[in-house]
Amino acid sequence: MSECQHQWEMTNIRFGFVVFEKCSHCNGIRTFFSASGHPMVGDEYVEGEHTWRCMENAQSLQFDLQCKQCGQLEKFDDVMGFLYCTECLDDCKVAILQKKYAEKKTWVIVAFGFLPRRKDTELSPRRLKILEDYFNQRRDTSRSTIAVLSFDLIDDFSRCKGEFIHDVGMLSLEPPKERKPLF
Amino acid sequence: MTVKELIENMGLKPLSQFDDREITGVFVSDMLSDVMAGAQSGNLWVTVQTHKSIVPAANLVDVSAIIISSGKEVPRETIELATKHNIAILWSELPTFELVGKLYSLGLATG
Ligand SMILES: [Zn+2]
Ligand SMILES: [Zn+2]
Repeated sequence: MSECQHQWEMTNIRFGFVVFEKCSHCNGIRTFFSASGHPMVGDEYVEGEHTWRCMENAQSLQFDLQCKQCGQLEKFDDVMGFLYCTECLDDCKVAILQKKYAEKKTWVIVAFGFLPRRKDTELSPRRLKILEDYFNQRRDTSRSTIAVLSFDLIDDFSRCKGEFIHDVGMLSLEPPKERKPLF
Repeated sequence: MTVKELIENMGLKPLSQFDDREITGVFVSDMLSDVMAGAQSGNLWVTVQTHKSIVPAANLVDVSAIIISSGKEVPRETIELATKHNIAILWSELPTFELVGKLYSLGLATG
């Protein structure tokens, strides 16, 4: 067991796009990270029983965290991004937790994995805690702290209008009026 | 220098309500991903982006204030969200280049 009180810093930063695709057959959604320097465009394409069409490109980044003291490296290439809960749904577990945390001046951020959700790609509580430690170690925590929650808490993506901390629709500098649910 | 001292010095217009704090440097970008990767705690963040997602981004990396340059109009929902979370949004008519030049001449730099 390591005795190190890890001090995390961001490393291996890659900029690219999170691509959102929807299947016109089953309405399934999938997302992936593209490290190419330009957004994905193009027609629908068939893959097995699915017909995928690109719905959205969001400029984003991928990163890993490394401990400054012991060098331990934690890869986070399965993180699609972070979502800020806008309390759009009364029964949303994130919204309920957020109200509770707000009393302690703690901000809730939801760490998203890529879609579709698969058991083997879930962000484990251990890794969510590392993300949380990273964001808190670099800030003045006497003012406020960050809590990083799992996107497992969001039951229904199709209704959630939380804000992704992504550059969605910002390729044009025209601010989007209101984000339509992506899913 | 603190955020409130900066407002006095530069004649910036505060749009949200916030508690004063020390400024550690300046970060200039219109990309949230850039800010996530590069801004340091306590930095001023200069941008022309006004969509409300700048507020959670600013909070996540703990910037001391967001300065909206070039006289860009800021939606009310952005300002309300910032006030709710004690994030300073300051506004300037100056184009980004001029604004950053003034910040530099006040002794603020990257960091
Ligand atoms: Zn360590
Ligand atoms: Zn399908």
